[in-house]
Amino acid sequence: MIDLIQNTLDGVMIGSSYALLALGFTLIFGTMRRLNLAYGPTIMAGAYLGTYASLRLGIGALPVALLVIVGAALVGLYVERLCFRPFGEGAVMASMISSFAVWMQIEEAATLAMPRHLNAFPPLITSAPIALGPYFFRADHLLMLIVAAVVAGLVYLALYHTRFGLGVRTVIDHRRAAELVGVPTERIMMLAFVLASSIGGIAGFLIAAGDGQITPMFGMWATTKGLIAMMLGGLGSVPGALLGGLALGVIETHAQSLFGPQVRDLIAWGLLFAVLTFWPGGLLGTRRIARAAAVQRRM
Amino acid sequence: MDDYLVGVLSNIGIISFVALSAYVLLLAGEVSFGQQAFFAIGAYAAGMASAMLRWPLAPALCLGALIGAVAAVAVGRATLRLTGLYFSMATLAFAEMVRIAFEIFTLQVDIGGSRVGPNGPDGFGDIRYLFENEITSIQYLCAIYVLLAMVLAGFFMLERSRAGRMLRQAGTDAVLAELQGVRVVRVRLIAAAAAGALAGLGGGLYAHLLTYVEPGNFNIMLGVHSLAYGLIGGLGTAFGPVLGVLIDIGLLESSRLFAGYRMIVFGGLVAVLLIVRPRGLLDERAVHRISTYVKGLFDALAARRLDRSLRRR
Amino acid sequence: MLEVSDIATAYGKIEALKGVSLRAGKGGITCLLGPNGAGKTTLMYTIAGILKPRRGSIRLAGAEIAGLPSARIVARGLALVPENRLVFPQMSVRENLLAGAYQRKDGAAVAQDIEQMYARFPRLQERREQLAGTLSGGEQQMLAVARALMSRPRILLMDEPSLGLAPLVVEEVFRMIGDLNRDGVTIFLVEQNAHMALKVAHHFYLMEQGRVTFSGEPGKLAEDEVIQRAYLGTKRPGRVG
Repeated sequence: MIDLIQNTLDGVMIGSSYALLALGFTLIFGTMRRLNLAYGPTIMAGAYLGTYASLRLGIGALPVALLVIVGAALVGLYVERLCFRPFGEGAVMASMISSFAVWMQIEEAATLAMPRHLNAFPPLITSAPIALGPYFFRADHLLMLIVAAVVAGLVYLALYHTRFGLGVRTVIDHRRAAELVGVPTERIMMLAFVLASSIGGIAGFLIAAGDGQITPMFGMWATTKGLIAMMLGGLGSVPGALLGGLALGVIETHAQSLFGPQVRDLIAWGLLFAVLTFWPGGLLGTRRIARAAAVQRRM
Repeated sequence: MDDYLVGVLSNIGIISFVALSAYVLLLAGEVSFGQQAFFAIGAYAAGMASAMLRWPLAPALCLGALIGAVAAVAVGRATLRLTGLYFSMATLAFAEMVRIAFEIFTLQVDIGGSRVGPNGPDGFGDIRYLFENEITSIQYLCAIYVLLAMVLAGFFMLERSRAGRMLRQAGTDAVLAELQGVRVVRVRLIAAAAAGALAGLGGGLYAHLLTYVEPGNFNIMLGVHSLAYGLIGGLGTAFGPVLGVLIDIGLLESSRLFAGYRMIVFGGLVAVLLIVRPRGLLDERAVHRISTYVKGLFDALAARRLDRSLRRR
Repeated sequence: MLEVSDIATAYGKIEALKGVSLRAGKGGITCLLGPNGAGKTTLMYTIAGILKPRRGSIRLAGAEIAGLPSARIVARGLALVPENRLVFPQMSVRENLLAGAYQRKDGAAVAQDIEQMYARFPRLQERREQLAGTLSGGEQQMLAVARALMSRPRILLMDEPSLGLAPLVVEEVFRMIGDLNRDGVTIFLVEQNAHMALKVAHHFYLMEQGRVTFSGEPGKLAEDEVIQRAYLGTKRPGRVG
C-alpha cells in the first residue's frame, strides 16, 4: 500500500513535467492543426545551450534555466518561420516533414557542439530527499511539481483572462471565424508557438536538471512523451494535456516498479493505442470533440 | 563495381520498399508513422524461416511479406474509425509496441551446434542464407532491383486503372468517394495489406543483406523517414518515393563535401524544397507535365513515320 | 460608404470574380442577389480581407482597403456575418461577443455594448454561458450578427443570413435586419431568398458567373423576373426563363 502511494506521488511529480510538454504540444497543434516534430529537439537545443554555457562559462543553475528557455523560444521561432508560416490552409504533410528535417538539423548541430553522448547538466537542488511520514520526496521532483503547477496556472490565466489568450482560443476553436472578428491570426499563431516552445524549455530544464545529464536522444524522447500525453488527454484540449501528462507519469511509474523499464514503455504505447481505438477523443476530448465535429459539419 | 557502391545501391533498393509502403497509404489519405513495424515483422519472419526452419530464400521472403500483410490488415481493422493525427499516432504506437516486443522476444534453436534465433535486445544474427548458398552481392543486388522493378510496374498499372482512381478518390475525400460508389473501407484495408506486404518484403530482403537485424533498427526515425521520402521525391508517382530514397541515401552517403554538416545542409534544403513544392519534386503537376511532354514526343514520332510512309507512295 | 471597383479574385487558375463593381450607400440596405456559384461569397470574403483580389479597388468611407489583412479591415469598421454563421462552437455566447470586440481598446464600453446586445437579443442573454455550438440555427444567426456588431462597424456585411433557417425564423431575421437599419446601421446583404431580400432592400444588384448583371431599385424590374434570375440565372441575357 505504501509502495502504491509512493509510486503514485512519484508519478504525479514526473507527470507534471510531461504535462508541461503536452501543454506546449497542444498549444501548437491547437492553433496550427499541424504536428511539430521538431518540438522535442527545440527544447533540446535550449538545453544544450544551457549545458554548454554551464560547462564553458561556469554559470549557475538559474541563469542556465533562463538560457534554456530563451534558447528554446528562439529555436521555436526559427521552426515556426521555416516550417509552418509559409504554408497556408493545406499542405499539412509538408510542414510536418519540414519540421522533421529541422529535427535532423538540430540533432546534428547538438552533437557537433557537444560531441560526447552524455553531457553533465547542472542540477538544481542537491539536498537530500525530504521525508514525510513513510514517504520520500526528491527535492528536485517536488520543485518540478511546484513549477509545473505555477506555469500551468499562469497559462490558464493568460488564456482566460487576457486579450492574447482570447485570441489564441478563438484561433484554436475556429480559425476562419477568428479572422473574421479581427483577430490577427498569423501573429497569434507565432506568439503561441514561441510560448509553447518556452514552456517546453521550462520542462526541459526541470527534466535535465533532475537527471543531471542531457543526451542527443532527449529530443525524440521529449517529443514522444509530449505526443502520448497530449493524445491521452484529448487532442487540442489544454486541461486534457495536463491531465494526460499526470496520468502518463503515474502509469509509467507503477508499470516500471512492477515490470521494469521495457514493459513500462510497452504499456505506455499500448495504453495510447487502446485509448485511440476505443476513445479517439482522449480522456477529456471525446464529447467536446464529437460535439464540435457535429457542429462543424452542420456549418 | 566496388563493394561499397553495391552496398549503397542495395540499401537504396531495400529502403524503397518501405518508402513505397508509406506511399500507398498516403495515396489512400492516411499518414502512417508505423510502416517500420511491418518491415521488422518481415525481417524477423523471413530470417527465422531461412535460418531456423532452413527454408529457401524465395518462400522465406514470401512468408515475410504475407505476415506483414496480415499484421497490417489487423491494425487497419482496429484503426478504421480513425483519421488524421489519431490514425498516425495509433500506427506509431503499434510500431513502438512491435519494436519493444522484439527487444523482449527470444527464441533460439540449435543449428549445427550453435544457437540461432532472435535474442532479445541483441537482435537476430546469423541469417547466413546468402553465404551458405554462395549468392554474390551483385546477384542479390539484381534480385532486389528485379523485385523493385516488378513493384514499380505494378504501381504504373495501378495509376492507370480504375482501382488506382478509386484509391486516390478515397484518399482525397472519403465522404465524397463513398457517395461516388467507392467502398472506402475495402479500399483502406486492401491498401493496408499491400503496404504491409511491401514493407514485409523489404524487411526480408534487409535481413538477408545484413545477415543481422536488431530491434533498434526499426524505430521512429525509420518510420518518419519513409514518409519523408515520398514528400521529398514527390507524391505524383511511385517513382517519387524511390527518388526520395535515392536523394537521401545516395547523395548523403556518397558526398564527402559536407562531412560533419550533412544533415544541417540537407535538412535546410528539404525545408526550402517543401515550401516551393509542398508535394515533392515529382508532384502531380510535374508528372502531368512530363507525361504530356513524352506523349508529345511520341505523337511527333508517329506523325513523322506516317508522313514518310505517305511520301513513299 | 462602400465602393467596389473592378474587383477580380481567382482561386488558382479559376477566376471567380471577373471584374465586379458596386456600391453600398451609407445608411441603406444594399442587397446582392444571384444563383449559387455566382461568386457572392467570394466577393464578401474579398471585401472582408480573407481573400486577396488580383486587381481592383475597395474603398470604405473613401479609404482603400483592398489587400489589407482582415484584422485591419475590422479595425477600420467593416464586419462580416459569414455564410453558415461560423460562431465559435466551444466558446460561450458571452465569449463569442467578447471575441467580436477583439480590435477594440475601450474595455468599459465593450461591457456596455454586451448589455445592449442582450437587450436587443434577449434569447442570447438567456443562454449567455451556453456553448455556442449547442445553439439552434436561428440563435446562432443572432449571435453571429451580435458578434459582428460588437466591433461597432460602420457597415455590416451579411452573407446569406436566411440559409438553413425555418421560414418563421427567417422572418424574424429580416425583421431584425430592418430594425438594425432603422437604428442607423448600413447593411450590405447577400441573399438567395430574393423575395425576403427585396422587401427590405433600398437598392439591389444581381450577380451571375462572377459579374454584376443588373443594378436597380426594387420595383424597377418585375419581381418574378428578378426571382427567376436570382435562383436560376439567365439563359440568355435580357430573356426570362
